[in-house]
Amino acid sequence: MTDWNAMSDAEFRKEVRQFFEAEYPEELRHLPHRPKFAEIEHWHRKLHAKGWVAPAWPAEYGGMGLSAAKLLIFYEEQQRWGVNRGRDMGVQMVGPLIIKFGTQEQKDYWLPRILSCEDIWCQGYSEPGAGSDLANLRTRAEADGDDFVINGQKIWTTMAHDATHIFMLVRTDPDTPRKQQGISFLLAPMDQPGVDVRTITTLSGETEFCEVFFDNARTPQKNLVGELNKGWTMAKALLSFERIFIGSPSLAQNALGQLESFARGRGAFDDPVFRDRFAQAALDVEDHAALYSRFADQLKRGETLGADVSMLKIWVTECFQRITELMIEAAGPDGGTIGPLQVGNVGVDVLSSFYKARPTTIYGGSNEIQRNILSKAVLGLPG
Amino acid sequence: MLSSDQEDLRLLRESARILFERAGGSGRSRKLRDAGGGWDAAMIRELAEAGVFGVTVPEENGGLGMGLAAGGVIAEEVGRVIAPEPVVVTVGLSLGLLRRLCPDHEKVGQIVGGETVLAVAWQERGPNGGPAEASCRYTDGKLTGGKAWVVGADGADGFLVLAEGDSGPVLVLADAKANMLSIKKKTQADGSVMGELSFSETPAEQLAEGPAVQDALTEAVNDATALAAAELVGLSDRAFEITLDYIKTREQFDKPIGSFQVIQHRAVDLHVMREVAQAGVREVLAQMDHETDPKTRARLASRAKARAVSAAKKITRDAIQLHGAVGYTDEFDIGLYLNRALVLSAWLGDDAYHRRVWFDAREEEGAA
Repeated sequence: MTDWNAMSDAEFRKEVRQFFEAEYPEELRHLPHRPKFAEIEHWHRKLHAKGWVAPAWPAEYGGMGLSAAKLLIFYEEQQRWGVNRGRDMGVQMVGPLIIKFGTQEQKDYWLPRILSCEDIWCQGYSEPGAGSDLANLRTRAEADGDDFVINGQKIWTTMAHDATHIFMLVRTDPDTPRKQQGISFLLAPMDQPGVDVRTITTLSGETEFCEVFFDNARTPQKNLVGELNKGWTMAKALLSFERIFIGSPSLAQNALGQLESFARGRGAFDDPVFRDRFAQAALDVEDHAALYSRFADQLKRGETLGADVSMLKIWVTECFQRITELMIEAAGPDGGTIGPLQVGNVGVDVLSSFYKARPTTIYGGSNEIQRNILSKAVLGLPG
Repeated sequence: MLSSDQEDLRLLRESARILFERAGGSGRSRKLRDAGGGWDAAMIRELAEAGVFGVTVPEENGGLGMGLAAGGVIAEEVGRVIAPEPVVVTVGLSLGLLRRLCPDHEKVGQIVGGETVLAVAWQERGPNGGPAEASCRYTDGKLTGGKAWVVGADGADGFLVLAEGDSGPVLVLADAKANMLSIKKKTQADGSVMGELSFSETPAEQLAEGPAVQDALTEAVNDATALAAAELVGLSDRAFEITLDYIKTREQFDKPIGSFQVIQHRAVDLHVMREVAQAGVREVLAQMDHETDPKTRARLASRAKARAVSAAKKITRDAIQLHGAVGYTDEFDIGLYLNRALVLSAWLGDDAYHRRVWFDAREEEGAA
């Protein structure tokens, strides 16, 4: 077993880079959509054979056991080469949940199946009445013999139509003084009569999001993770690393690169107004990257990140949106055209970038929610 | 664990902050403004004792031998208390020129020691009012022509003047009390004075000549531009703190106005702006210390100034709005920060100017 953390950062980066560059299939680089498992299965097998499916998991569970610093490098290289994250809900969310709160039996059963993608997971958090106000969720799970019986509806469940299992927050006690109480973490199989999945067609015509309906669906009681009615605290504990990841500069950096080559091809830089707006966006990306490294350095020194890390997400997602607006502007009369616009010998899909940027300010805690958090937890504003 | 460099900067920041706070913070700056502008000679000596002016001067010439990053730390502290002493002018421009061109000249030690202050006169005003090609002449030990936008002209003991000599550019030193030198004072928004100098066969001592003069000027202006950005970062930081305190205590409708979500979200935006500016400008200063190509250093300096000006603009303007009517009065300190931001933004190029320079430099590098 290699001790990756004993390597220097530069050595480790080189190792990761070489593997991606040599092994990652060219046609899957910078995929514009979320792939179904079948599309990336070949790559997943390679990653699995290498033992690199779960970089953040401890080595004893089959992960790479990377420190925060090495993990950031791993993700940076992944993004740099346009390596698709694959169907990683299991690795990113379910695995850490089970490792932290699960029983030995749950670990032994579920973790290897996550690594091999024998089980493919989707995340059942949001509901029609529980978006930013997630604790308002109503999907019920009631004990019945050895099972829980589940009734209710989840929404915005990414790739549920290509998942075998769902990990979900459900209400197990409807009569609590605070709505954050009475919520539990439950694992459930998707392939059963009581579960109905419908895809949601988005503005861009994609069908990555789903609605999932539960009508007396069942899951064994042993699929409860952690203590009954303690799901909310556990969900919050899982989010700490995601908060820097979600604010990483890569989305905006990639979009800026696209904007630059597109604008150059289109002659948009002849316009001094456009030049200024491009410079503004480019500097917004550079200075965000400086702030991002400040937080990354904190992680590398072994410090935990505070609530202030939310500002990365606010800045980079709004910047990403401005960049995609500039792409549309540079496209001029083609700004409403679906599909790649040809510039020289490359095609740039302006609208696809634009659509991709829209939900970034909504998901992962909308930017308004992030502002609420910063204002109270960081600035100490009252009320 | 912070690295030893970071630890040095942290200690420097702490001692600079204590020095300015002990001297009276922004209250001292207000008093000096009310007394007619200018700076405090005793403060100049105190700053010199702390090593402030010689921060980037090599140790063998009496300085601290630290880099621009350290200069930035000090500039931020100057900005936090809007101190009127010409720290950036001295560290960036006058010593920026002298340490590159004539590090052994006696003036270097005198400036580092706080015995003298020199202003730098390098820009000239053209017929349409904007900056123009230099035409100031130096011949037979005498200067003729004019210089504009000379910061610190009011209190300086002398001027470092860029002029055309008989065989190329020269850097000369003219005494502030020299004959045939007239200074037109232009009062700035913060009460400071910018000078317009007219020389008419004014006696001056030549310090350096040749292409090295132009090169040193370019680098000194790069340094000063980045340091001015750091000063704006410090200013924005403090302006935001003052505003945050205010919205936490000011009550309307029986609640602190900082409990209203619309105010909270605006405050968060300013906070994020401040953090991005701080991270960006500090990164630039550290990179400039390791960068030797003047063109790249110029691009970096422009990145810093563009960011710092746009952040300071947003923060100081919104700070006035969040203060409400009292923000429009002279009595509240927040206005001092707005006025200082106006002056620092206009000096050495504002955000739009530096975005243009940055873009052009990037294009040039891309083409090369």
